[in-house]
Amino acid sequence: MPKISTLTVVGAAALGAVVYSLEANSDPLPPDLTYRPLATLPFSQVKEIDEAQKSAVMQRQLDTLNRRYDLSNRPEEGAMMSGGTRPVQSGVRVKLPDGVSWDSLASMTPQEIREKRLLPEGFMPLPHVKQATGGQVFPNRQIEEINRQEARDLRRFDVDFDLPDHMTPEFPPPIFLTTHPELGDVSRGQLLTIKNHYELLNGIITPVQMEGLRLLLTPFPQEEFNQTEDRKVAGQSLGVACLDCHANFSTNGAFHLTPDIRPQASRFRLDTTSLRGMFNQQIHGSKRSLRSVEDFTEFEQRTAYFNGDHVSATRKGANLPDRTNQVAMMAQMQNIINFPPAPKLDMFGRLDRARATDRELEGEKVFLGKGRCADCHIPQTSFMDNNMHDLKLERFYDVGRTINDFVAIPDGPIKTFTLRGIKDTPPYLHDGRLMTLADTVEFFNLVLGVKLSQQEKDALVAYLLTL
Amino acid sequence: MSRFAGCYLATALLAVPAAAQIGNPAGLDADTRMAKPGVPALHQTNNQDRLFARLAAAGGMAEVELGKLAAGKTETEAVKEFANRMVTDHGTANDRLKQLAEASKMPLPEKLDAEHAAIRKRLQSLNGKAFDLAYIKAQIVDHQKASHLLQWEISSGEDAELQRYAAEILPRVLLHLEMARNIHDELAGVVTQ
Repeated sequence: MPKISTLTVVGAAALGAVVYSLEANSDPLPPDLTYRPLATLPFSQVKEIDEAQKSAVMQRQLDTLNRRYDLSNRPEEGAMMSGGTRPVQSGVRVKLPDGVSWDSLASMTPQEIREKRLLPEGFMPLPHVKQATGGQVFPNRQIEEINRQEARDLRRFDVDFDLPDHMTPEFPPPIFLTTHPELGDVSRGQLLTIKNHYELLNGIITPVQMEGLRLLLTPFPQEEFNQTEDRKVAGQSLGVACLDCHANFSTNGAFHLTPDIRPQASRFRLDTTSLRGMFNQQIHGSKRSLRSVEDFTEFEQRTAYFNGDHVSATRKGANLPDRTNQVAMMAQMQNIINFPPAPKLDMFGRLDRARATDRELEGEKVFLGKGRCADCHIPQTSFMDNNMHDLKLERFYDVGRTINDFVAIPDGPIKTFTLRGIKDTPPYLHDGRLMTLADTVEFFNLVLGVKLSQQEKDALVAYLLTL
Repeated sequence: MSRFAGCYLATALLAVPAAAQIGNPAGLDADTRMAKPGVPALHQTNNQDRLFARLAAAGGMAEVELGKLAAGKTETEAVKEFANRMVTDHGTANDRLKQLAEASKMPLPEKLDAEHAAIRKRLQSLNGKAFDLAYIKAQIVDHQKASHLLQWEISSGEDAELQRYAAEILPRVLLHLEMARNIHDELAGVVTQ
């Protein structure tokens, strides 16, 4: 008897050690690192505190932006966006640290720049206005137009949009269809909404496309725009439509946090990408790499709408579009959205020598050669390569730095975005950290280490305007 | 390597932003006192900051204790250097955390937690290369977890001083993680170049 009990004790101890080591593998960490915690305070109290914090939140963000960028309104001579209603902004807007020039910076090694902390702040990831909360933030013109047409409120009480209007895409953007190139812009200068879409596109698109369009314009509950105490809009909200960000299938510059990363502090800002030219893209979502526009459309209800959190969606009202009857129609509509016309490009995406200027041709040469832009942005495949690449920008900065509550960890691989129509969709990079095309040229000059001359950089900007 | 890292740390510390963190008030405790409208007062008791302080202190204490064990036991120079570095870096960080916790009257753990006690026990039974690898692997996991924990405090905490502390420590923790990963690859003979 005593023998057995000794054995039992030994056995239990051995088992205990096994169970114990399994437990130790996930312990101890706070319980809400992956899932969104439920609110602990009633809506009215949260709103009161959010409103009290708002001016400090916005001031902090504006201070950051002004420290990083020259945000003044300085249009590029003779360069309007495709709808002809807004000029492209000119010049490099990222501010340099004291004591360096763009050339001296480009001559240093990444390690030297990192050690001396000389990476221009505007090249660092751009934080969301309020990292701890995150969520979609719409520019004022979108908010006003949706309010006018639909009496639907997209204005948050905790944050405002942070960039000046002239640094964002023209509004509303023109719409070009692959099915009707002869018509040109079919938007009639209006923002497509659930109210006007039928009148605007009646007779131009098919019944299936019309139904897809209707769904893309129908608001559904979202993380911050819904009817629970977790919302960030004053009234109970019907929600958000796909095209509230992808305005007229392009973008209005609305931003969000990437749904693909946890914990919350390191989720990077996402600038809304244009849906123009979707028909030729093989991967979708800057980080998600979804393999079809159907997958993207379906899954967007879990990602953009609910921060990639299906648990939260279930509570607030998930919309699960039916794959064959709804998603396919939404995809068909998206797949007829064309790039804006680029009259100087031939059918392979190369400049027509008879139409391009010498400077633009010089820019194309840099783009294809020394600048290494075309290593990923291949002209023949709509200036992308349907791949994701890691620029390894963290070679230049100390990983884990906190900027306005946002923790800058390495971005990892990001999808190559198309450059067709690029002049229409500032700001640039997946988080919108670069304000102008000249900024992107300086950024890639440093990151790729290609050491372009000023003349080559200027030629490259001139070329990018033709795309 | 260590000289470069030392310089780098000193500059990293100077650059920590002075502005207070601003969280999502939906997660605040019901009795949160405000210093001014919308700004939680310092040094009050709430679950997030208390949990952070406890877990961070437990992790920090383990770093020092396991570092001392490793420095005394290892025969590998890189591991010894790393272990000594853990003792000094985390020792300093632990002292600061203690001051901040005392100001908020948060009790901190006084002995090694169960997870790290088990690691220590296992390490005591190993020698030579097996010891080095086990220590450095445990360090990698610990620093990964510390990174999650610090980020959690940065977005979920309430106390601005604790949040600034977390933001200040995080780049160092990630640097330690990078060092530990490099040592691991060297010890294990992983082809890296």
